[in-house]
Amino acid sequence: MKILVCISVVPDTTTHIRFTDKMDALDTSGIQWIINPWDELALTRALEIREQPGSGVTQISVIHVGMKDTEPVIQKTLAVGADSACRINHAPADSLETASQIAEIVRKELFDLVMTGHDSADYNGSAVGEMLAELLGWASFSSISSLSVAGSVITLEREGDIRSETIIAKAPCVVTIQKGIAKDPRIPSLRGIMTARSKPLTVVEPVKCVPLTRFLRFENPAPRSQCRMVDASNVEELVNLLRNEANVL
Amino acid sequence: MAGQLIFAALLAATLIVFSLTVRKYVFRFSLTGPHRIRHWRKRIGLMFQVAFGQSRIFRRPVIGFFHALTFWGFCMITLGSIEMVVDGLLGTERSFAGIGFLHRLFTALGDVFAFLVLISISVFLVRRIVLNIRRFQGVEMKRKSHIDALIALVMIFLLMVTLLGFNTSYLLSDPQPAVGTYPVSAILASWMTPGDPGKAGFVMHLSWWSHIILIFIFANLLPYSKHFHVFMSIPNVLLSRLEPLGKAENMTSVMNEVKAMLYPEQSGAAGPPPERFGLLDAGDISWKGYLDALTCTECGRCTDVCPANRTGKLLSPRKLMIDLRARMKEMSEGKMKNGRNFQDGKTYLGDYISAEEIWACTLCNACARECPVNINQPSLILDMRRYLVMEKASAPASLNMMFSNIENNGAPWQYGSHDRLNWVTCLDIPVPVMANLAAQGRKPEYLLWIGCAGAFDDRYQKVARAMIKILHHLGVDYAVLGTEETCNGDPARRAGNEMLFHMQALALIETFRHYDIRKIITLCPHCFNTFLNEYPDLGFSSEVVHYATFLETHVASGKLKSSAGHFKNDTIVFHDPCYLGRANGVYQAPRTLLGTVNSDKTEMERSKSFSFCCGAGGSQYFKEAEKGSTEVFIERTGEVIASGATVIASSCPFCLTMLTDGVKYLNKEGEIRNLDVAEILAMEAGLTSEKPRSSVTGPRLSPG
Repeated sequence: MKILVCISVVPDTTTHIRFTDKMDALDTSGIQWIINPWDELALTRALEIREQPGSGVTQISVIHVGMKDTEPVIQKTLAVGADSACRINHAPADSLETASQIAEIVRKELFDLVMTGHDSADYNGSAVGEMLAELLGWASFSSISSLSVAGSVITLEREGDIRSETIIAKAPCVVTIQKGIAKDPRIPSLRGIMTARSKPLTVVEPVKCVPLTRFLRFENPAPRSQCRMVDASNVEELVNLLRNEANVL
Repeated sequence: MAGQLIFAALLAATLIVFSLTVRKYVFRFSLTGPHRIRHWRKRIGLMFQVAFGQSRIFRRPVIGFFHALTFWGFCMITLGSIEMVVDGLLGTERSFAGIGFLHRLFTALGDVFAFLVLISISVFLVRRIVLNIRRFQGVEMKRKSHIDALIALVMIFLLMVTLLGFNTSYLLSDPQPAVGTYPVSAILASWMTPGDPGKAGFVMHLSWWSHIILIFIFANLLPYSKHFHVFMSIPNVLLSRLEPLGKAENMTSVMNEVKAMLYPEQSGAAGPPPERFGLLDAGDISWKGYLDALTCTECGRCTDVCPANRTGKLLSPRKLMIDLRARMKEMSEGKMKNGRNFQDGKTYLGDYISAEEIWACTLCNACARECPVNINQPSLILDMRRYLVMEKASAPASLNMMFSNIENNGAPWQYGSHDRLNWVTCLDIPVPVMANLAAQGRKPEYLLWIGCAGAFDDRYQKVARAMIKILHHLGVDYAVLGTEETCNGDPARRAGNEMLFHMQALALIETFRHYDIRKIITLCPHCFNTFLNEYPDLGFSSEVVHYATFLETHVASGKLKSSAGHFKNDTIVFHDPCYLGRANGVYQAPRTLLGTVNSDKTEMERSKSFSFCCGAGGSQYFKEAEKGSTEVFIERTGEVIASGATVIASSCPFCLTMLTDGVKYLNKEGEIRNLDVAEILAMEAGLTSEKPRSSVTGPRLSPG
């Protein structure tokens, strides 16, 4: 079985998001880019499956739609254990563009299972996996919290609000994963990083695709109302503030 | 003549057996890695202090005294033994007599020490057989270890009996005149009825032969027993590590890899990467590491002071040595038989030492400080962690999270660098920031290094603020890096991620160079240790002081006065942070600072170089403790309570958190306050309005 994991590159989750002066784009200065945490979990699960005896997984590849500056992050996926990577040289404007570019590669390379994260931590579109399945005409399973592989049979679980579902799926399919799918994400070992340098990272030029979305402008959310901290030993001040400023006593 | 021939045959047999043993060990050493030895003058001083002076042994004064007697006795008696060998070969009697007074001196000392060694060995035997000593127990102490110890003690006992028997019967045989001086034997002889000198002569020969045969057997038994230290301890001390205990050995191979990653354009021919990063099997250690293992006497002083072992975890530093010896023996026997490339499918880490043992270590260096023969156990542990992280990426999950945080946002916790100055917001005095000063063309004298805890930990932010108030009060010309500060890599390095350490350190050194930083004051002892001992390996040296040392001079000059009297009804106890005290020898500075405070002072049972870790060291702070019978911080807090203190003073963010947890756990929040020395000084100098209640802290930061 050949597995493809879709990787999005997003700002580190502690980043203070700022926009350009015209408020029409993200201000990328000083941002540390990381693998989208959901995609990282998908990759971790793929690696875990491969390590199980008799899993039949012969190849784990990653794919990313983005410009050259994302390559250090893609290298990291190779360092933790992916066998090969493909970067489609294009900055996508929306989920459809991303899905279309990936679909093109999947059609050519005959993957059996495509895994994507539930959403990406930047625009939180939650759409690439489903769109990709639609474009490929494959079955799509979303919000999957458990995935195991035996030959060409893929067993999936999905946690609902009131029940959990177990699904037996047949390859090929697209699986969008939810938390709980894998143990903790892996870190690259130094040996892994060194080995990654000799693994293939192919760069592919994009196919033509018209995005359906255009961003007009960005706005910062309204700041939260101010929180005042009172020392735990200072009950007097707390009472005073509640009585005279908050007027709740 | 017949005697000479028999003696020569015995000596030849001894040397042949011994040379076979030497051959085995030479082969084993040939399997180990290189290790460079420099600074011989310093080493010779160390050898006299630690080996001949027995300075480490005397850390336990009573039993140490008996050991020192035995050691010095062996040194003296060896001269006599050499004389006996010459006598045996040449058929002479007391062949060194020609050196006159010196001969009388060494025979007299040999005779007296034979008696003293006999007493000491008797004490050791009683202690081993009758008393139940904790440090002689442990999983690694198999039956063989105990039998080894008893055989060696009995042999030494017999060696001394035969020596005294020889000297006494020599005097009784009525030599005219007696060659040499034998004070103890003279007394023994005077107690005996002078009988037939011929009979005495027989006893003399019997004793002489027994003694010499015992020496030959003993010499050949030693290399196969824990008593190998009789041969190995002096060279091992001579060749021991000279660096401060806190300094981790730099991995230049990793440094070169990281440089090649960060500056691909600059990287020259760094040479091929090593076959393995870190330590997996006995062949990965240096020859010095193996020498350490051979020198280990299994005395258990290391294990006895190990915080992990004392709290029931699997780790025992002594086991590292015993197992390394055993693994090297097994591995080398396979290779001797089947060729150097033979692999038996076993490894030291994995088949002998488990990952759980390795991850239990707090890298507090108590074991290395205690070892009488200067063995360095923590470096072995660190090298195994390096293997697990850099080859296998198999650190505990919470450490992986810490690594990710450092790599992504420059702190072991998930806080971005843009929040690094949030702690200054409630200060009423300005905090100078390096970049702002540089923009005005100014260069402060000191960089005040706040550290990640000072920047992000609610509780330690208070300490950072107290420090700012003190520096402001003293008029020190300083600045902080603010949002340009980033983790210096220490937690990653201690957890085995040497690569991440170098990534952080090399980037930070660029910042330091950009601002031409020459003097650094740190809040955290771990950062202090890293800048002081480890950054020079990466090409950055500066004058680094921990704040306690920095303030000590100001207290001495009277610029920082303690007069508020907040603590006049308190008893303060100082907890020595491992990386300030044991690792770098700063014991007095914080005590001098506290000495200015009007309060009672006390010490814990284990303090200064004997201090017991808080449990956070070696990156334990960022992970769950390994399984044990209790937690290190609870054990240490128990000692605080036993000391009768009402205030714990420390000078490390991690110690502060751990001991605060301990005070809470033991329900002593109402009775014991936990403060940093800087806070105490700021309060006493009337600089801070923060009330002296501080057991109440925010939630403990976890790596996530």
